[in-house]
Amino acid sequence: MMQSSPFNFRRVFLWICRIVLAGVFLYAGSAKLLGWGLHLHPSISSTKLSLFYFALQVDSYQLLPPWAVQFVAHTLPLAEVAIGLLLLLGWLLPVWTTFVTLLIAGFFASVVRAYALGLQINCGCFAKPEPLTGLTILRDGLLLLLAVLMTVFAFQESRKPHPWSATSPEHS
Amino acid sequence: MNRRRIMVALLGVGLIGVAVLLFPSIHKPGEAPAQQVEQSQAIPQPRPVETVNTTPAPPAALPLIPPVITVAKAAPASPQASISVNGVNDIDPAKAFGSKSAPLIMEIYSDFQCPACKQLFTTTTQKVMDNYVNTGKVYLIHRDFPLPMHAYSRVAASYSRAAAHIGKCDEVEQALFRNQEKWEMTGDVVGTVAAALSPAEMKKVQALVEGKTLEPLIEKDKQIGMTVPVNQTPYTVLHTKSGQTFPVVGFVSYDVLKSFLDQLVAQK
Repeated sequence: MMQSSPFNFRRVFLWICRIVLAGVFLYAGSAKLLGWGLHLHPSISSTKLSLFYFALQVDSYQLLPPWAVQFVAHTLPLAEVAIGLLLLLGWLLPVWTTFVTLLIAGFFASVVRAYALGLQINCGCFAKPEPLTGLTILRDGLLLLLAVLMTVFAFQESRKPHPWSATSPEHS
Repeated sequence: MNRRRIMVALLGVGLIGVAVLLFPSIHKPGEAPAQQVEQSQAIPQPRPVETVNTTPAPPAALPLIPPVITVAKAAPASPQASISVNGVNDIDPAKAFGSKSAPLIMEIYSDFQCPACKQLFTTTTQKVMDNYVNTGKVYLIHRDFPLPMHAYSRVAASYSRAAAHIGKCDEVEQALFRNQEKWEMTGDVVGTVAAALSPAEMKKVQALVEGKTLEPLIEKDKQIGMTVPVNQTPYTVLHTKSGQTFPVVGFVSYDVLKSFLDQLVAQK
């Protein structure tokens, strides 16, 4: 009975992770696309400006060549919005949660590297100028932990029939 | 389930469409300025040591006469005479370069002993000077922000400021940044500056440093920096004519900065 309940711990935790991470990604992507931290009027030109400004922050990590910096800066915010929506939709959840985990792991590695190298730069996490500090690493670490747990639970849940589906053992 | 898939597919197509619309290679915003860059590189421009003059734009009836922007290196000014340009106050004209009517103002807070500042100066700032300052697009302000953790950066700032006030800012800044590793080991800031100047010029610089008349200007830069707030160097602030400000922290490569500057210059 407990196992088939739609409100078991794993399912609730998975939903919380999905909502939290979807919120974070939607906010991060929208902030970069709309230039929230820069007080720009929403328009196509301000979005372009905001993305070029984000490119400066990506470049300050000194990880990528200029063409790759522009590519990341112009695709990452859109990818973040798309991922946020996909997490909320729940379509192919194990696939997208894995992708999210890898993405956050990438962010985490970049932030840790920059901190270890003593690069005094802006994090570039949410478009608004925000210095990269130990707290940034802690926050990204917590998000990574959340993403890993979400992925594990998503895989575990995907192996079981949905409790509300007609094919569940209780209804059959 | 099918509805969901259709929704996700539509969403994906929409996002890809927006990505294509916004991706820089489609629009190539830097194309026009790139031509000007090539021109400015082909014809080396002398750097006069007098005030900035911009000729008025020709009327529409005279399209054959191109607007000539005479860009000048900062004028040596009397100590402590600060100016304001487009809402940016307390500018020491001896440490500012380019046309005051430029669409962009770029303030760079730097410390002569900071390695990232050296990297920014030797790679990015020099190209910005050649391609944006000397073409009248950017008014560049060097602000001194000597960090307390660097033993000789304040001395270097004093000598650089003094050199700027006899019209030798670029020579001394180049010498200090390019030989950073040497003088930060030995503390021989004076020798490094002397190697970049003639004995007569060095005498003037030495007199200005010993007179301490320029120290308030360095302090003023630091105070302004703390209000920004600058908490690390290099720290660049870009100001547009419409009053927007864009802080850029740390080193940034020229190519990436160029794309952003082109966007700002193209803004109406």
